[in-house]
Amino acid sequence: MRLVAERIGHGYGALDVLSDISFSVADGEIVAVVGPSGCGKSTLLRILGGLERPRAGRALIEGTAPPGSLNPITFVFQDFALLPWRTVAGNVALVLEDRPLAAAERREMVAGALARMGLADFADAYPKQLSGGMRQRVGLARALVVRPAVLLMDEPLSALDAQTRELLMDDLTGLLAAERFAGVYVTHNLGEAVRLARRILVMSRRPGRVRSVVEIARPIAGRSAGDAELAAAAQAIWESLREEAVAADRELADG
Amino acid sequence: MAIRSILAGVAALACLSGGALAQETVVAGALRFVSNGALFVAIEKGFFKEEGLEVELRFFQAAQPIAVAVVSGDIDVGMTAFTGGFYNLAGKGGLKVIAAQAREKKGYEGNAVLVSNAAFAKGFRKIEDFPGHSLGITQVGSSFHYQIGQLARIKGFDLKRVELKPLQSLPAMAAALKTNQVDALIIAPHIAKGLAAAGDAHLIGWYSDFDEYQFGALFTSPKMIEARRATLEKFVRAYQKGAGEFASAMLRLDGAGKRVFDPAAADPIAGMIAKYVYPSDPPAEGTRKVKGATFYVDAQARLDVGDIHGQVAWYKSQGMVDAAVDPKAFIDLGFVKGHTNVPR
Amino acid sequence: MAEPVPFRGGGFQPRARRLVAVATLAVLVAGWSLASRAGWVSPIALPPPEEVATALVRLARSGELARHLAASLSRLVSGFALGAGAGVVVGLAIGLVSLARSAGMPVIAALFPIPKIALLPLFVVWFGIGEASKVATIAFGAFFPMAVATYGGVDGVDRTLIRMAQSFGLPTLSIVRKVVLPGALPAMLSGTRIAAAIAIILIVAAEMIGANEGIGAFILAAGNLMQTDQLVAGVVVLSVLGLTVSGLIGAAESVLLRWRR
Repeated sequence: MRLVAERIGHGYGALDVLSDISFSVADGEIVAVVGPSGCGKSTLLRILGGLERPRAGRALIEGTAPPGSLNPITFVFQDFALLPWRTVAGNVALVLEDRPLAAAERREMVAGALARMGLADFADAYPKQLSGGMRQRVGLARALVVRPAVLLMDEPLSALDAQTRELLMDDLTGLLAAERFAGVYVTHNLGEAVRLARRILVMSRRPGRVRSVVEIARPIAGRSAGDAELAAAAQAIWESLREEAVAADRELADG
Repeated sequence: MAIRSILAGVAALACLSGGALAQETVVAGALRFVSNGALFVAIEKGFFKEEGLEVELRFFQAAQPIAVAVVSGDIDVGMTAFTGGFYNLAGKGGLKVIAAQAREKKGYEGNAVLVSNAAFAKGFRKIEDFPGHSLGITQVGSSFHYQIGQLARIKGFDLKRVELKPLQSLPAMAAALKTNQVDALIIAPHIAKGLAAAGDAHLIGWYSDFDEYQFGALFTSPKMIEARRATLEKFVRAYQKGAGEFASAMLRLDGAGKRVFDPAAADPIAGMIAKYVYPSDPPAEGTRKVKGATFYVDAQARLDVGDIHGQVAWYKSQGMVDAAVDPKAFIDLGFVKGHTNVPR
Repeated sequence: MAEPVPFRGGGFQPRARRLVAVATLAVLVAGWSLASRAGWVSPIALPPPEEVATALVRLARSGELARHLAASLSRLVSGFALGAGAGVVVGLAIGLVSLARSAGMPVIAALFPIPKIALLPLFVVWFGIGEASKVATIAFGAFFPMAVATYGGVDGVDRTLIRMAQSFGLPTLSIVRKVVLPGALPAMLSGTRIAAAIAIILIVAAEMIGANEGIGAFILAAGNLMQTDQLVAGVVVLSVLGLTVSGLIGAAESVLLRWRR
C-alpha cells in the first residue's frame, strides 16, 4: 500500500498555507517532513490522514491495506491525545472497542501492545500519573494495537525533554525497524529526521512547497545518535533552511 | 423606632405647651379595599384636620406586612382583616387592637360563597355539600380559612373533609375557580358578583347569611399608645366620625330589611372611597364599584369583642395560633366607648 | 553581613478545615441564642434557637416533618430529573449540532434570566394547581443551568481528543459517549450543583400554589401565621436538604472525577 500526496494545496481564508505538494510514501518507507515553523507541515499531515480537506489536489491510497490492519492510516499526536479519564489500558482499548473483536482477543491485543512499549506495569495508571515519555509510549501503543500500514507522526517527541526524547527515539527506531511500518514523520528537529527517515522533504516557508528532497540510504537500524555522516546531512539541510527560517521568524503571526 | 417615638412625644408636648394648632402627622397603613372606607371618608371629609392631625397614608399589597410595619414602628396605625398571623403577632405583644374595621352582619353583603360551574353541575348547591370538595383560599390562617371553619362548625361537617388549596392571591383564586381547578371560593363581594354575573361561577350564599363576625380592626403598637395616647385618641375620634358618615350613607335598609342606596347620600361618599380604592377608574365607574363592594361597618367603630375571643379560640383549636395568645392582652378597650359583647 | 531573603510566597491556597466550619456554625448559633436571651433581638424579629430546635423536634415527632419532606422530595426529584435531563439533552445538542446551537443559544439566553417565580401564574394556567405545575416550576429552574453547563462543557472538550477518536475510526455515537460526555462531565457536575440549588430555592415558590404538604408549603403557612419558630425550623430543614444534596454531588464528583486527582 502506498500513500500519495497529489498536488496538495491548502489555505485558511486569504492565507495560503500549502502549495502544490506532491510525494509518495512506499511500503515500509519513512518520509520525514521538515521546514520552518508555520510552513504547513502539520496541516499536510492532517490532510494525508483525512482529518482535513485540502483546497487543491488530493491524498490517495494506492493498493490495499495489508490483511489484519484495523486502521491503515494511524496518527501519533504531538500532545499524546490521551483521554485523561481512562487508564493506560483503557486508552489503548478505546480504539478497539468499536471493532468486531472478541473481548478476550481485545484484552490480549491491548496487553501485547502495552508489553511491547514497556507499559505492562502501568496498565491501570491514569495518564496524569505518568511522565511525558510514558504518555507518548501509551500513544505509540495505541497506534500499534490497530496494526497500521502508515503511521502519521506529528512531532511526536517535541513535547518531551531532551533526555526523554533520546530514550523514545531509541524505542521508535527499534519499533520502525522491526515492524516495517511506513510513516510520515513531521518534525522541526533535523536530528530526528536524519535518524529515522529514508527521505527528507525540506519545505519552504509559507506557503509551504517542497524545496528539496534529501535521501539517506543507510538502514535505520544502523543509525545512532552520534553518527558523523548523519550530523553532516543535518548540517547541510540546516544550511539550506536557514534563510527560510530567519524570514519565517520575522513574519507577523497573522502574515 | 424608639427615637422616632421619643421625637413624636416631644412634638406632641411642644404642641400642647405651645397651644398652636400645628399639624401632627400619623402614618396609617392600609390596603386599597372598600372595607377601609371609614378611614378614607374621614380623610376626605377633613375630620383628621379638625383634630389637628395630618394622616399620611401608606398603601400595601398584602395584609401581613401592615401588621409587621406597625410592630416595627414604620407606620403608626394599620387597618386589616384578622388572620391567624395577626393574632400570633398580637400575642407576642407587638400589636394593640383599638377600633373596628368591617364586620360580617346579617342582612348586609360581605364575603360570598361561590361554586365552580363543574361542581355546581355535579350537585354542589349548598353549604352542606362542602365535604369532599376543594376550596381555594389565599393562605393558611387567612380570614377565608376562618370562614370555612365557621361554616363547618355551623353546618356540622368536618373541616378535614374540605380540601383547602392555598393560592396566594385573589386573582389566582378567581382563575382557579373559573377553570374548575377548585370547587369553591369564599371571596369578597365585588369579585363574587363579577364572576357570577359573567357566568363563570355560581353564587350559593353570603357568609353573613350564616354567621356574624368581626372582620378586621384598626390597630397600633403598645409603644405608640404609651408615647402618643392623646394623638391616638384624636385619631380614633376622627375615624369614628368617618365610620358614622360611612354607615349612614352606605348601610341604609328599606322597610323590608333590604339594603338600599340613596344616590344623593351614597354617591358622594362612595366617590370619596373610589378615589382610594379604584384610583385608575373614572369616578362614575369607581363609585359604582364601591357600592357593589360595601361591607358593614359599625357607625361608632365598636368591636364585637366576644367574637374576637371566639376567633382566637378557633385558631388555637386548629393549632394555628399559639396557646399563649390572650385576646384580653391585645385589645385596648379605652379608645372607643360601648364595645359590644365584652367578655367579663 | 547576611540577611535571610524575605519570604514572599505562600497564601492563595485556601483550604477547608472541617473543625473551623463546625466551630463557626456553633459560634453563630451561640451568639444568636445569647442575643435572644439578653433581649437584643426581639422574639418577633427572630425566635431564639432553642424554640426553633423545639419546633423541629415537635415536627419530627409528630411525623409532620416526614410528610412534608416526602412531598417536597418527590417534587424535587421528579422536577430535577426532568429539568436536568432535558438540560443535558439540549446542552449536548447545542454543543454538537450547528442548527441546535443557532436556534438554542438565543432562546436560552433570553429565557434563563427570567425569574421562574414570575411565570408561576402561567404555569398554573398551563399545568393546573396540582403536582404538574409544581414539578414544572422546578424542572424549568433546573433546566437552564444544566443546559448552559452542558454545552459549555462540550465546548471545552479538547478538540484534539475528538480528532484523535476520528482518526482511529470511532463511530460518532462512541465519540459522544466516550470522549465528549466524559470530557464535559466536570462542567456538567458543576451545573448539577447550581441546578440542584435552584431546584431547592424553587421548592418554596412551587409550593405557593395549591399545596398543603411540603417544606415550602409549611414555611409559607408558618410565615402567614407569623409562627416564626416554625418558619425558621422549616428554613433549617431546607438548608440541611441543601447541604445533603451538595454532599451527595461532592461524593459523586470524587467517584466520577477520580482521574483528575
